Amino acid sequence: MTLSTSLKSIESSGDQVKGIPSYPVIHVCLVAVSVISLCFWSVCQTKGDDGIEFFEKKIRPVLVEKCYQCHSGDAKKLKGGLLLEYREQILKGGDSGPAIISGKPADSLLIGSLKWDSLEMPPSGKLPDGVVKDFEHWVSIGAPWPKSEKTPIVNAATVYDWEKVRQEHWSFRPVVRPSIPTENNSEWEKNGVDYFVYKRLSSNALRPAEASAGVDLVRRIYFDLVGLPPMPQQVVEFVKKYSNNPDAAVSSLVDQLLESRHYGERWGRHWLDVARYSDGFGGFNDGSAMPDAWRYRDWVVDALNRDIPFGEFIKLQIAGDLIGDRNAAVGTGFLALGPTYRSDGGDPDSVAQSKSETLDDRIDTLTRGLMGITASCARCHDHKFDPIPQLDYYSLAGVFNNTGVHQGPIAKDEEVALYNQHQKKINDLTNRLKQLNQQFKKEKRQATAEEAGMVAELNQDIAELKKNSPPKFATAHMLRDTGSSNMKVAIRGDLRKTGAEAPRRFLRVLAGDKAVPFKNGSGRLELAEAVAAPSNPLTGRVFVNRVWQHHFGNALVRTPSNLGKLGELPTHPELLDWLVCELMDSGSIKELHRLIMNSATYRMSAQFDSDSFQNDGGNRLLWRMNPRRLDVEAWRDALLSVTGELDLVMGGPPSEDLNSRRRTLYFKTSRAGDRFGSDKLLRMFDFPIMRATVAKRPVSIVPQQYLFMLNSSFMNDRARALSARLKKSSEDPAARIQLAYRLLYGRPPREDEINLGVKFVLRQDEAKVDNWEKYCQVLLCSNEFFFLQ
Amino acid sequence: MFHRNPFAPLTRRELLGRMGAGFGSIGLASMMAGSVSGNANSNGALSANQNSPLFPKAPHFAPKAKRVIQLFMPGGPSQVDTFDHKPALEKHAGQRPEIVNRKTLRNTKNGLMVSPFKFQQYGQSGKWVSDIFPHVAKEVDELCFIHSMHTDIPEHAGAILMFNLGHLQPSRPSLGSWLCYGLGSENQNLPGFVAMSPRAQPRGKLANWGNAFLPGAYAGSYVNIASMKPDQILKDLKNSRLPYGEQRKQADLLTQLNRIHLERQKQNDQLESGIQAMEMAFRMQFAVPDTFDLTRESKQTLEMYGDSEYAKGCLLARRMIERGVRCVQLSHSIDGYDIAWDTGHGDIKGGHARLAKACDQGIAALIKDLRNRGLLDETLVVWGGEFGRAPTSEGKNGRDHDHYGFTVWMAGGGVKPGISYGATDEFGCSAVENRVHVHDLHATILHSMGLDHEKLTYRYSGRDYRLTDVSGKVIREIFI
Repeated sequence: MTLSTSLKSIESSGDQVKGIPSYPVIHVCLVAVSVISLCFWSVCQTKGDDGIEFFEKKIRPVLVEKCYQCHSGDAKKLKGGLLLEYREQILKGGDSGPAIISGKPADSLLIGSLKWDSLEMPPSGKLPDGVVKDFEHWVSIGAPWPKSEKTPIVNAATVYDWEKVRQEHWSFRPVVRPSIPTENNSEWEKNGVDYFVYKRLSSNALRPAEASAGVDLVRRIYFDLVGLPPMPQQVVEFVKKYSNNPDAAVSSLVDQLLESRHYGERWGRHWLDVARYSDGFGGFNDGSAMPDAWRYRDWVVDALNRDIPFGEFIKLQIAGDLIGDRNAAVGTGFLALGPTYRSDGGDPDSVAQSKSETLDDRIDTLTRGLMGITASCARCHDHKFDPIPQLDYYSLAGVFNNTGVHQGPIAKDEEVALYNQHQKKINDLTNRLKQLNQQFKKEKRQATAEEAGMVAELNQDIAELKKNSPPKFATAHMLRDTGSSNMKVAIRGDLRKTGAEAPRRFLRVLAGDKAVPFKNGSGRLELAEAVAAPSNPLTGRVFVNRVWQHHFGNALVRTPSNLGKLGELPTHPELLDWLVCELMDSGSIKELHRLIMNSATYRMSAQFDSDSFQNDGGNRLLWRMNPRRLDVEAWRDALLSVTGELDLVMGGPPSEDLNSRRRTLYFKTSRAGDRFGSDKLLRMFDFPIMRATVAKRPVSIVPQQYLFMLNSSFMNDRARALSARLKKSSEDPAARIQLAYRLLYGRPPREDEINLGVKFVLRQDEAKVDNWEKYCQVLLCSNEFFFLQ
Repeated sequence: MFHRNPFAPLTRRELLGRMGAGFGSIGLASMMAGSVSGNANSNGALSANQNSPLFPKAPHFAPKAKRVIQLFMPGGPSQVDTFDHKPALEKHAGQRPEIVNRKTLRNTKNGLMVSPFKFQQYGQSGKWVSDIFPHVAKEVDELCFIHSMHTDIPEHAGAILMFNLGHLQPSRPSLGSWLCYGLGSENQNLPGFVAMSPRAQPRGKLANWGNAFLPGAYAGSYVNIASMKPDQILKDLKNSRLPYGEQRKQADLLTQLNRIHLERQKQNDQLESGIQAMEMAFRMQFAVPDTFDLTRESKQTLEMYGDSEYAKGCLLARRMIERGVRCVQLSHSIDGYDIAWDTGHGDIKGGHARLAKACDQGIAALIKDLRNRGLLDETLVVWGGEFGRAPTSEGKNGRDHDHYGFTVWMAGGGVKPGISYGATDEFGCSAVENRVHVHDLHATILHSMGLDHEKLTYRYSGRDYRLTDVSGKVIREIFI
């Protein structure tokens, strides 16, 4: 490129470095850098060399003062892809080529720009002629620069006082058990939860809603704990007990359902959202299948059903391969099932970016999913809001840079050995056979009779061995350590431009200034321990908050994956911490459910109240239960359940068959969200894209959902099945309608509802489709079936 | 700093507030019309429709365009063989001046190659156009050429995504879904964003019209022009079992039962939304097939477009735009090839001539048709591929990828007609004057639609995302 064209291109492009993710777009004025600190740095490097002295006196101060706002690692927007922080950068230049040609000021872009000949730099105003002459001189004497100063100055300006920082924001502070505020009580409270809630309500002139009716509550508890509707008989039993002794009725139902194996399926699915779980297929550049993904899904279901201690639950998912037995390694699917991006054509920038995106997935899932902290924002620069320096990002990235993903065996060693030995036998014989055939070919002859016999025998043996082969041992996608080296900070997120070395260690916002470097292998086990440590204030808060969200529809911190400065504040900070303490003491997630569900707060009705609504429309203070729409899993499972078709077999490989009668948890899903028919169905009903850890599912109500409900063969089939079930039960239309309401809504129909139904089914039919079938479809499409009180 | 999640249920107060304040300007009228026609619900309550994610939203400032048609040319059309005329190629044929000595994908080292096509000047603007676009050439006085496009990488996959998503990986929402998120749709009976192509989908497939982390309502619906089935655009669009009257009775019963249920709950926006959404679904069943019914077009119109598959897509695009669809992305393809214009590697002459022939007449007809119907002013048409091709040769007759410089043109939507903006070097290799990155193009498209690309954000995975990432500069000079 000629000089003139390259100058033009700089001038007009206003280019920035591409391919780096952005920081939050909320551009709160981020005052660039305390540039002065850069000055301190430099002087110590000189060796009394005149050139260096000239540079330090005449050149560096100008660079720092006039150029670094746009041309340093700390620039708010890097201009022209040009960094001027160290000599190599200046020689290499930016998008338009070298900024200087050493010894040739006349050919140096930088000099032309300072003279305002071509570009006009700095844009704020032309520098005095004397200064420009200094630069010319500096270039002409070979652009001297302190020799030892090869590493770029990355983020040198940001200095954190870690002890202070950790006290500044609520979620970084240690969890201290709050005392239960019993002073201002009423007759309403049942356990600790309620005192905290009542305190907030009463101080805001709000009253808790009445307790729910039994029919509503039993439905809520069933969907909540097992994701299935109660059968009519179960409703009747509960309602009876509840009217005699409400506390005992709730408590025993909660105990009973926590022991149900379907509890793990329900809450496992909630966790799989956090784990951005999929069966692979992220689209091109990330298209591989994850055929064993379901092993991790089953691991989660099982871990929850067994109620393994909370700390262990967390630790095994980060470093199970380094802790326990083969089964424990399956837990690392939490990270292993993430995307592994590749480049399409091997372009080096593209390759680097793919690797960087892959590492970012692990860090994002780990930090947002488990700790509610958005460390990913520090991939290209220090976090703009939370105390996470870019260096700390690469401290974590180093752990995952030394971690590989593989399909490891989960069978017993003997089983693996047996299979491998058998395969070796087959391979040996196959090789022998190949050799023979090659020999014949080489010698250009037929086999002798004896040799032909050998060949036949070999073929027979191989066939025999193959037939009798032990089954391939089971495998799962898991992590393993692959090294123990540190990464270097990637300047502006570009792995091809590296800066200072980042020791593998925990985030300093949690570990403090004296964060110990990880010593063993990748450091993943030490990382797991740090994340799961009871002293880590974030992990417990994040987890408890998520559990609360699924019980109430809204979390106590309504940004469940961001407890940082840009996240919301907790509506009930003391309640949150109290629950965290309870969880840490018991270690039992099931106990946490018990505590929440046996509260009066959980039992409140979802009834609308206009005064309370005026006062607190968002129900932030919990004056009622939030009415909710079922998620797609619960809704589809309920459809199959009320028609009597649901297949409750647990575990195993997933299916993409839309007509499958198994629970929705067992649908196959792709990371791209578009590969399978099952994906499309799920996504239509707000199943999130599993590209990144999911904080909360959106609830969208769109016509496409109703096209599915009214016209799809899946819904037609359910209507037919329900209609058959009703017809079998009785000849009397009213009795059939009675049954339908009890099955679907857990309550008897009102008179007007019966009348509407009877009128509809007894109508003269215009179409070939049976009226009962059409009626059943209406009931299955109804709001009451889809929403929970 | 925190803006409200637009999908959270609205309080009654907010609903009323919104009715009064922001929404008057655009779309509400047409939206009401759309809802009254087609046998709307007897219970009325329009307000709850505002809970629909596709309800029209006010732009950030007065828009120049209300709709976008993107004529996407995947594979990389060669700028110097189409719209970026470089007479210098002839003089320096076979040479390899320093200025074109840039790394291409396949590291080609050959010299400059003269275009196998002749160029002529057209229109009042005197714009030079290659002979393979004779129809489009006649419309040059409507077109605004940007000759100084550049992008990040010379690989199809990434560059196609960059062009449609502003990101090299398939993990971001597409341009069209950002538009629907920002503006909603003006027709509640059709999807807000439709992507079409004949047979092959452009490389990257769904990602090119996907919503990624935006709510599902903003996903593009895909139509294969070769088959033109309305129920492709919306799944389960057709009720195969019930006649209209029976469907209506079923829908009426459902509404009645839902109303009884809602009365018991006293007040719940979501329940109300469900009732509205069901009614809309009912109307869509009839509105969508109507859009696809090309038999309603005059013979004259059909002849103007010609009978290529791409032309059919152009006509369909006009019908959708006419009905208030916010964004139509129409990708080119022949021979079922997902990066059609990539035939340029070995044979510019044959490959490009066939591709141009398959789309030229349809594109020109679309411009004329939009103008004749008074739609062009409010519709931004954008033509272009993910990158261009090098002026040097690959092999004997081909050209390798060139992401340093390529051409995109626009029409309508408030851009100046008959102008050229920016330039490549004298051989057409790299953008040198008024360079426009794809992010800048996106910022400009959003600007035309009344959206500030820095303000159109969505909070996901802990931070705010934009179509233009941390880049993008609106090319203000090209607007009237």
